[in-house]
Amino acid sequence: MEKRKIKSVNPLRVGLAGLRLKNPVIAASGTFGYGQEYAQYMDLNRLGGIAVKGLSLKPRSGNPPPRIMETTGGMLNAVGLQNIGVEAFINEKLPFLRQYDVAVIANIYGESVGEYSKVAAKLSAASGVHALEVNVSCPNVRKGGLSFGADPKAAAEVTRRVKGETDLPVIVKLTPNVTDIVQIAQAVEKAGADAVSLINTLTGLAVDIKTRTPRLKNITGGLSGPAIKPVALRMVWQVAKSVGIPVIGMGGILTVEDALEFLIVGACAVQIGTANFINPHAMIDIIDGLEAYLEDNKLKHIDDLVGTFKT
Amino acid sequence: MHKNIFIGEICANDEVQKDHFLMKMYLPRTFGAVLPGQFVMVRIAGLTDPFLSRPLSIYSFSLEQNACVLELLYRVVGKGTQILAGLIEGSQLEVLGPLGTGYAMPDTEKNIVFIAGGIGVAPLSLLAEHLCVNSPSCGPNMTFYLGAQSSRQILGLDKLQSLCYAVHVCTDDGSFGKQGLVTDLIRKDIKKYPPGDTIIYACGPKAMLKTLNTILGGKYRCDVSLEERMACGVGACMGCAVAVKEGSGGAAYARVCCDGPVFGLNQIIWD
Repeated sequence: MEKRKIKSVNPLRVGLAGLRLKNPVIAASGTFGYGQEYAQYMDLNRLGGIAVKGLSLKPRSGNPPPRIMETTGGMLNAVGLQNIGVEAFINEKLPFLRQYDVAVIANIYGESVGEYSKVAAKLSAASGVHALEVNVSCPNVRKGGLSFGADPKAAAEVTRRVKGETDLPVIVKLTPNVTDIVQIAQAVEKAGADAVSLINTLTGLAVDIKTRTPRLKNITGGLSGPAIKPVALRMVWQVAKSVGIPVIGMGGILTVEDALEFLIVGACAVQIGTANFINPHAMIDIIDGLEAYLEDNKLKHIDDLVGTFKT
Repeated sequence: MHKNIFIGEICANDEVQKDHFLMKMYLPRTFGAVLPGQFVMVRIAGLTDPFLSRPLSIYSFSLEQNACVLELLYRVVGKGTQILAGLIEGSQLEVLGPLGTGYAMPDTEKNIVFIAGGIGVAPLSLLAEHLCVNSPSCGPNMTFYLGAQSSRQILGLDKLQSLCYAVHVCTDDGSFGKQGLVTDLIRKDIKKYPPGDTIIYACGPKAMLKTLNTILGGKYRCDVSLEERMACGVGACMGCAVAVKEGSGGAAYARVCCDGPVFGLNQIIWD
């Protein structure tokens, strides 16, 4: 009898909180614009997902410059969530993204719980959004953002309200600027979050010693880049073993080796952020590298690697 | 076909004036053509300190049979440019570009005026060259005002003199040309150039552009190219914000890297 050829399973495919990704590599919000900016440098179809720049109910002009400062092994930013607003995103940016076979994760931000709900509702009614990522962790805006992410009760409340507005998977993006990130992760899990992503930037400061003034107009900014990777990895490991929902890891990933570390400690997928700035091919290199690693280590599927950390 | 990160091979990297270097590099032909005003992001592959690429404006560009030849004129201001200055012939750099918008070309203006402060001469020199090659009738109408701190910081003078009808130089300390700021000279000379028949191109420190804005009083067609810290160079990071006027009378932050680096002087909001 003739053997039927079984179509080989994509070894990088990830199912995550109802979100199907062709690989576990996602562009991190705030580092990839609305996808268009990098489309000329790569085939967006190769990516597992794109988390677009944080969207608010109304357009936001962002913080006055200077907004960025290079630091050792990374950078500080205080962009302040400059974005075109949810309506313009749906009308002007989503049609472009719909051309691609890539999961579109809409990162959302509000100054109040009500604003989060409204943004979530609008995006849920639009076609071409595959998940919501709730930003309760921006360190660069006065209202909302971090104040929701640093308090388990407030984080849970935002999560519950957003869940009530949408059938899309809800990912809650956590801040590392807290005493116990596990407590926040557990609170949003209990409130119905389908997944958590972590870490957002670490609040930092840089000083100009000639003028004795801050390097950033906002005074403080969020630190990203390889400088924060060990902190991120520690938090992802702690959260992954304390919650039942999937964890998306990020923080300073530049190479496939960095991405593998996050997967090994329990992240089901990774987001690549600041690396895109210095190497627009970073995500493609990481995807190719993951495939090669599985082959070299005789692993059939990426799931066989996730959470295999031995302590 | 997607854009690449190009590998540039350095064939010269010389200190042409104190702390100012001219780097010449070969790039693949696919790098394509350059518009005057555009820039590149350069970095040393694999290096994470300094972490970010450096935006450098393009000083000259030419095509050879098998390569694009790019010249970058830069000033050593910090760690990143210090490392670039140490690179020797044969070293390689990752190059992203050409990036950003170019200067608008003159219509029928009789006077083409360039105003450069310090390293701001780099993109304007390419523009002057471009105009001479592509619209030879421009040459006799081009006047270049070049400002520098001292005679030891004057850049690209010979080339400008061969391209322009006149080059006026001033230095802060009077060690070459007239003493004073280039904007002092412009304030005196501006009467020679009727607004309707003049196009002005400027690049230099923010203080210079701000003063120029006051002198011109919104009456002139004037393109300026801005310099700003950048992380990505392609419009994604929103780091290089500049406040500009919006159609409705409001204000917004534009991105120097992709909405610019060339802006109409009248568009910019100077606080």
